[in-house]
Amino acid sequence: MTEPSDRDLMARLAAGDREALAPLMERHHARLYRIALAYLRRPDDALDVVQETFVKAYVHAARWDRGSEVVPWLTRIAVNQAIDSYRRGRRRRLSEEPLDETAALGLAVDDPSPERRTMGREISERVGAALRGLPERQRAVFVLRHYDELSLEEIARALDMSLGTVKSSLHRAVHRMRERLAGVRP
Amino acid sequence: MRLGHGRWRRDAALHATGALEGPERAAVAAHLESCAECAQEVAELRAALDLVAQDPLRSARPPIPLAALVTRVNARLDEATPARPGWRPVWVAAGVAAVALVAVLGREALRPGVPAAIPSSAPSRPTAAHTSASSDALNRLEHTLERERAARYLTEAGDVLVTVASAPQRCARRAHAVEVGEEAERSRELLAQRRLFVEPDAASVVAARDVLDDVEDMLRQVAALDPCARPQDLEAIRGEIARRHLLMKIDLMTRELQG
Repeated sequence: MTEPSDRDLMARLAAGDREALAPLMERHHARLYRIALAYLRRPDDALDVVQETFVKAYVHAARWDRGSEVVPWLTRIAVNQAIDSYRRGRRRRLSEEPLDETAALGLAVDDPSPERRTMGREISERVGAALRGLPERQRAVFVLRHYDELSLEEIARALDMSLGTVKSSLHRAVHRMRERLAGVRP
Repeated sequence: MRLGHGRWRRDAALHATGALEGPERAAVAAHLESCAECAQEVAELRAALDLVAQDPLRSARPPIPLAALVTRVNARLDEATPARPGWRPVWVAAGVAAVALVAVLGREALRPGVPAAIPSSAPSRPTAAHTSASSDALNRLEHTLERERAARYLTEAGDVLVTVASAPQRCARRAHAVEVGEEAERSRELLAQRRLFVEPDAASVVAARDVLDDVEDMLRQVAALDPCARPQDLEAIRGEIARRHLLMKIDLMTRELQG
């Protein structure tokens, strides 16, 4: 028996069949988690984003256009959730301890050496700081390109932006990242 | 990088990200062979992007198993939508399902005039009471989501207007002009998306309608700007934003919508 397509699963969600959530999540949760984590740099927040993405996918399934692709639709929900989460957390974080991005590292690499872990942690902290300096949409474009390796057209579809805006956003983001990462050596 | 290299500067950055394909990629590659300045720029951008490529978060995996995440999603949906008979999700342990089944059968059997439901693994038709409760809960969730969407629309529009009201970059293509091409394009996108973000007659966002209309008016003015705009045109928009206290209104309304 052939596997149901993403569209089949979305149609089942639209009909109120919650059991279609698990196979849909199995296919997409890891990718959406990486996107959210790259954006937010906090594993707990990223997990919340993935959770809320699938909650919204179920709630809005009836509105989903059956002719449209599922992956960009889910990606757009996840990115919007990540942006909302970042905004909500911005004020909260001002009164909290500095971001701890190292919590995710133990889960990211299979048994790295202590040296690699230290180096990876430093790079992650510097890259995270540079990413936080980007405007929200530029950061989303950059994350989708460099953490999910989407093409420019795919990014435009996922973020509902024109191709021209994606290009100018990515160009600006890359230049800002270079400025902020100047002097950092692996 | 010389002023005339504006176009190449953008394309060189995109080339460094590996995002260009086909003729665009070939054109930039050919240009880089004859332009040491651009080649140097691409090398510097790639050095920064190499660091990003080494970020361990690129290969991060979710910290909990999929089954646990599915359980979280179902629990979250249960908060908003009470469980419907016959919709027992697969993640519930068999013992719990059996107990629930007995409870449902017993309850249904005790109700006068109502035949006991025959549970199955396929979705069954919900009872009127369940439908009503689920419908109310879904409506509440819909209202919350409508407010969240409206808040996001206002925040994104606010981002555009803040950029316009602050100090955009000098336009490299025209003297005494400012670069607002990205803001104008984003304004056009937001105007086109307003109906997607905000239901025109949604009762949950009725209080925001005046601010939304003001925002739409200003976005139209920004959208109409030349990408290399005259400073006086920008000044007129800034003055109008200030006169209407629009940024403050956006901030207050966004917070109200977000609860």
